[in-house]
Amino acid sequence: MAEFAVIGKPVPRVDAVDKVTGAARYAADVNLPGQLWAGFVHSPHPHARIKRIDTSKAECIPGVVKILTQDALGAGATQETIDTVHGMRLSQSLFAVEVVRYQGEKIAAVCAISPEICKDAVEAIEVEYERLPAVDEVEQAIRPEAPVIREDAKEVEAPTGCPWANLGMFRNVCQEAHFSAGDVEAGFAEADVIVEGIYRIPRVHQTYIEPHACVARVDPSGKVTVWTSTQSIFAIRSGVASSLGIPQSNINVVGQTIGGGFGGKFGVLVHPYAVLLAQVTGRPVKIVYSREEEMLDGRPAPGAVIWVKTGIKRDGTVTARQAVGLWDCGHVPGASIYATGRIVGVYNFKNIKYDAYGIYTNKPGTSAYRAPGAPQGSYASEANLNQCAAAIGMDPIALRLQNMAQDGDQRVIDRKPLSRVAFKETLLAAAKQAGWFEREKKPNHGWGVAIGEWHHGAGPGSAVVTLMDDGTLKVFSGAMDITGTDTGMGQIAAEVVGVPWENVRVIRGDTDSAPYATGSGGSVVLFSMGNAVKRAAENLREKMLALAAQHLETTVDSLEAVRAADESGRVIPRVQRRGQPEESVTLQELAQIALRTTGGPLVGTGTFASEPSHPLISAQIVEVEVDPETGVMEIKRLVGALDVGRAINPYEVEGQMQGGATQGLSWGWMEEMQFGQGRMLNTHLSDYRIPTIQDLPAIESVYLEVPSEHGPFGVKGIGEPPIVPTPAALHLAIHDATGAWVNDLPATPERIWRALHRNRDEGKG
Amino acid sequence: MHAFDYLEPVTVAEACAMLADHGPRARPLAGGTDLLIQMEMGKVRPEAVVHLGRIEALRGIEWDPQAGLRISAGVTLREVETHPIIRERYPALATAAQVVGSVQIRNLGTLVGNLCNASPSADTSPALLALDGQVEIASPTESFTIPVAEFWTGPGQMVLQPGQLVTGVRLPVPTPSLRTWYYKLAVRKAMDLAMVGVCVALEPRNGSARRVRIALGAVAPTCLRARHAEQLAEQGEITNGCLEAIAEAAVAATSPISDQRASADYRRAMVGSLTRRAFTQLLR
Ligand SMILES: Cc1cc2nc3c(=O)[nH]c(=O)nc-3n(C[C@H](O)[C@H](O)[C@H](O)COP(=O)(O)OP(=O)(O)OC[C@H]3O[C@@H](n4cnc5c(N)ncnc54)[C@H](O)[C@@H]3O)c2cc1C
Repeated sequence: MAEFAVIGKPVPRVDAVDKVTGAARYAADVNLPGQLWAGFVHSPHPHARIKRIDTSKAECIPGVVKILTQDALGAGATQETIDTVHGMRLSQSLFAVEVVRYQGEKIAAVCAISPEICKDAVEAIEVEYERLPAVDEVEQAIRPEAPVIREDAKEVEAPTGCPWANLGMFRNVCQEAHFSAGDVEAGFAEADVIVEGIYRIPRVHQTYIEPHACVARVDPSGKVTVWTSTQSIFAIRSGVASSLGIPQSNINVVGQTIGGGFGGKFGVLVHPYAVLLAQVTGRPVKIVYSREEEMLDGRPAPGAVIWVKTGIKRDGTVTARQAVGLWDCGHVPGASIYATGRIVGVYNFKNIKYDAYGIYTNKPGTSAYRAPGAPQGSYASEANLNQCAAAIGMDPIALRLQNMAQDGDQRVIDRKPLSRVAFKETLLAAAKQAGWFEREKKPNHGWGVAIGEWHHGAGPGSAVVTLMDDGTLKVFSGAMDITGTDTGMGQIAAEVVGVPWENVRVIRGDTDSAPYATGSGGSVVLFSMGNAVKRAAENLREKMLALAAQHLETTVDSLEAVRAADESGRVIPRVQRRGQPEESVTLQELAQIALRTTGGPLVGTGTFASEPSHPLISAQIVEVEVDPETGVMEIKRLVGALDVGRAINPYEVEGQMQGGATQGLSWGWMEEMQFGQGRMLNTHLSDYRIPTIQDLPAIESVYLEVPSEHGPFGVKGIGEPPIVPTPAALHLAIHDATGAWVNDLPATPERIWRALHRNRDEGKG
Repeated sequence: MHAFDYLEPVTVAEACAMLADHGPRARPLAGGTDLLIQMEMGKVRPEAVVHLGRIEALRGIEWDPQAGLRISAGVTLREVETHPIIRERYPALATAAQVVGSVQIRNLGTLVGNLCNASPSADTSPALLALDGQVEIASPTESFTIPVAEFWTGPGQMVLQPGQLVTGVRLPVPTPSLRTWYYKLAVRKAMDLAMVGVCVALEPRNGSARRVRIALGAVAPTCLRARHAEQLAEQGEITNGCLEAIAEAAVAATSPISDQRASADYRRAMVGSLTRRAFTQLLR
């Protein structure tokens, strides 16, 4: 991109040195004088009636300052977790009221002068329970004999034609979504082959490296300050306000460096408790979750069981698709069940029907995880499509290309015409990089392909770009940097104003100082905040040029910004009369002039509310080798392609593509929250497996740039899509290597071995 | 973590005396990669933690071409894994040490700690069994050795009495023709615990085998030797049919459980497959 000086350059991340050297300050690094530590009594049972809570022994432990239970609060105290970016909302009482509905539900909070005393006190609190039958699988929860988990659970008629139709009714339903277009029955009748399957996708935790943490302080005036790790300081502010009835203006939230969030750190989780305890004790209160608490009382991604049926003709025409999705919401609604609609994908399928249900189980509520709902829904859809290709003996890429939508086509779901999409090009780019059409069949090796679509969001926010008195820029906003967006926003400002990227500092404010910024998730940040920064930089540039015109006694039109290097190689950004370096003023001089001029220091502001974004796909191809005796799998290669609109920073783009693919591999291969009778069996990272660096192949990333009309410099939101296709690509690769379809995720060695075993028993292997 | 006394003896005698003082409520601490985690999780709550790190006599690996190898209790897994003699003469032990956790864990964790944690999935334990290891034990009054095979009594349990300390492990000199093989069946290549561990040692001789040891991990309450399978393997030429019988006998020696890591079925099947694979590799 010769047209840009800073955009498209792989400049290093602005936060890298602090993170690598340990200088970055995370929420758990915040310590205030006089601070207390808080911890929780979590229910050991997935479903039980609370008979008695006895805090007397704990209260006698020296150093224990306060113990809170729901009794001390009164009924109305609920915790509201709002993910504005994905439109998700969870509501839950602060402590269990009478009944606990999941292992890990909070029963009491303890506050003490040290974490050790706090832990002792937590253990000294006696709770007597009457155990109730628990349900941990959606396929059990819908059955007529299942215990009803919440009074508001609905019983709905089971959709006909699906594997669970014979139940007549589904129990424990808390959400529903239905869609139909065309005529699926007629479509199925037209088909040469029907391919159907049940795809089970487990619940997984976002497994950010840094568990939830916060410190809260309440000033004598009642002013609340919260230091925390979050994807959205503004969501924490509104969450604390609505949970505790404190006016928003009385709360300031300071975002510390974040150790990953992936959707799991949008709303409040530990924050209202810290604030409440700080209010009642008058001292700062700190809460740091353990990994086990994250697993038992975090807000993970929902698992789902999705049945998909496809009718297809031998020529590759898909005649109809139907799906029923059962989504494991845990004890409160909130799962992105509409993602069952991924059976449409980015294809021109005409006859579509899906029915999606959110089902109560005795587990914690769920929240976003990188492209919420998409990996689950797309896995079922794409895995089934690969099975269709196999059933008619067609190349899976050819099948996709034949059915894929392109610019001008109307989307089946909302009839909106598509523009600036590059679905086919993206898939072909992956195929080319991987050498798909030239691949050779080696024993025990297999190749797989899949795509994952995502339509990123947009969110309101504003930013300020200031010309500092030394001629450098300051970019100021309230956006949390979870993916390297600070670096990208700095590059955008540098490009617009005409300074080297090193001359820009990106500063994050707290909720008191910064203008509103959308939460960092939903792939919105560079699209939305990037626009705000771009507009702020443009605003600043106008003011700079106006002042320079005045100073050089010319018109704005005759000016240009140059960043040519001087004899020593140093870049001195300046503004000059077009083609006349002798008539110029440096940015530093301009800044100084501004200080002496009415109007003062030069400040640009920019805002963004909402503008349409474009759907895009991530296409991936994986190559695996499977040991047929043990099921042990090695990932030999992973190639990903993505349409990014514009790569502001290729390093960051590749980082997102690699990170997403790694999480997708993990979900497809080894990661799973395992439950038995409502209890989680693998609450520690020893048995809750995610890949180590040794397990990963070098991930090859190719990106395309089909600019979006509305993104800054054409940016599309790309953080989420790379997780979406991986499990389905793996599903096909395993089949290619072994002849077995492993529909239930994750495809652990044991599951692969079982599938092979089944095949052998049936004489297929 | 709960409060406890932290003791730092500088001699073995002092350590034994401290351990004897506190009886069953004392715990030796080597690298702490098992103990500290168990304490943090509240699974064990020792009154006294006796750190062995300052005892000079517990350092070092000694090799004597006549007497064999002695690995002291303070020796880390990383030292075992990188030791030239161990790599050359006891490759299964080097491999087993090398697949534990991560480099960071192996820089802290000790071979004897792995043994004394008495986990059935301990990676180095099948190798110690297959190599006829002996455990050196010191107490306030005496010191003696027992075979590794007699050391454990159950998961996390061993024959040690209060006041007793393991000072090291001894391995006899391997015969020149001895070949060994260890396979850890796990999902990840690092930072994972074995679903099954199989270690086989034998002296190949024209299609048959002598001095056969088949040691299995993570398939019974303790690591164990499949003695009947070993006998079958020593009976003559190892044909395909014979290999099948050996594998079956190895499976019969196990009593695996189903847990979050693997089902009992899978574990049994894998003992069979991996035993076959071991013989195929070693006799080739
Ligand atoms: C992240 C992680 C990954 C791991 N991965 C693996 C793995 O892949 N494979 C595996 O087998 N293990 C693994 N482990 C477990 C552990 O690292 C090993 O068992 C290690 O060898 C323990 O050695 P240590 O010196 O740290 O023992 P410690 O924790 O100090 O002690 C372990 C036990 O032995 C007792 N003990 C120690 N020394 C003596 C002695 N001289 N006499 C008597 N009793 C003694 C202690 O009291 C304690 O009960 C892992 C642990 C972690 C934290």
